[in-house]
Amino acid sequence: MSTVSNPVDDFTKQFMSEPPPQSGVKLTEQQLRARRARSIAIALALGAFVIVIFLVTLVRLGGNVLTRPM
Amino acid sequence: MSLTVARVEPSIAGVGDYIELMKPRVMSLVVFTALVGLLVAPGHVHPIIGATALLCIAVGAGAAGALNMWYDADIDALMTRTSGRPIPRGRVTPGEAAGFGMTLAAFSVVTLGLLVNLVAAVMLGFTILFYVVIYTMWLKRSTPQNIVIGGAAGALPPMIGWAAASGGISIEPVVLFLIIFFWTPPHFWTLSLYRADDYARAGVPMLPVVAGDRETRRQILIYTLLLAPLGVAPWLLGYAGPLYGLAATAVGAIMIVLALRVRAERTGYAASKQMFAFSILYLFLLFAMLLVDRMSGMAFGHIA
Repeated sequence: MSTVSNPVDDFTKQFMSEPPPQSGVKLTEQQLRARRARSIAIALALGAFVIVIFLVTLVRLGGNVLTRPM
Repeated sequence: MSLTVARVEPSIAGVGDYIELMKPRVMSLVVFTALVGLLVAPGHVHPIIGATALLCIAVGAGAAGALNMWYDADIDALMTRTSGRPIPRGRVTPGEAAGFGMTLAAFSVVTLGLLVNLVAAVMLGFTILFYVVIYTMWLKRSTPQNIVIGGAAGALPPMIGWAAASGGISIEPVVLFLIIFFWTPPHFWTLSLYRADDYARAGVPMLPVVAGDRETRRQILIYTLLLAPLGVAPWLLGYAGPLYGLAATAVGAIMIVLALRVRAERTGYAASKQMFAFSILYLFLLFAMLLVDRMSGMAFGHIA
């Protein structure tokens, strides 16, 4: 008697039963340092942008912040 | 059919490389001239709004610099003066520079429009577009008039500053524009006289490369003769005080003397180097004197 393989089982065996080996790009120390510095710079720039928007909003609205229909 | 995928190494670009892409030295002159335009404009601008406008103009200038370095990476690699820039050095990829430049350009123009005013934003957008598309992509590699026409981009910042403060444009900022516009050719041509080999190697048709030393020296003198009276114009037209007029006349006279020496120079480039260095000081002094004039009570744009 011949056995018929189930394609779903085959797929599960091949791709899902075991976690794939760790692969992908390994960053060097220099690349990690550069990425961290860039991330901090982007965070600071975004923070500065938020502060600019906040300050300009205060200046533009001024005392009108309190003048609104109740 | 085989599919080849180019492998891109993870970036090693540091923050300094991105700052370098923004051409900080050019940016400082842009910010300074824009600051003068902003402060000498009539009316009062809130310091926070003024600082925001300057920040947007600075970032916009940086965006233009990054996009210029992206497009010119091939010729930058061939010239001694520019071979150390981040892209030729392999620190930043052209794609990263293009993305960085486009992002900054969009942010600076939109922010200036939303937080300051639309006139200034449209002018900043036009300046970036002019510098990148008209100058960098088109004129730079095709005509010796590249820096003459392209100089308009560098001349616009005081007008943007003026527009940011006043919401419009009048004749006074146009005079400031003309001063920088006519200052640009003598400034760059004195540099290109002693860097002609660099430009020739990269195939950039700067005036000394295509028309020779003699013609370049003649044109430096012509533009300087046009520039000197323009430098005095704010005083002659009554927009600035006598202190400015005196200083502009003195530095204008020095520029003419230096241009005559460049014209007379037969061997070497000592006079050209001297004029190149002084031209930076000349522009700085003119704009600084306008500021001093404004601070001392004589309102630029308001005839007492």
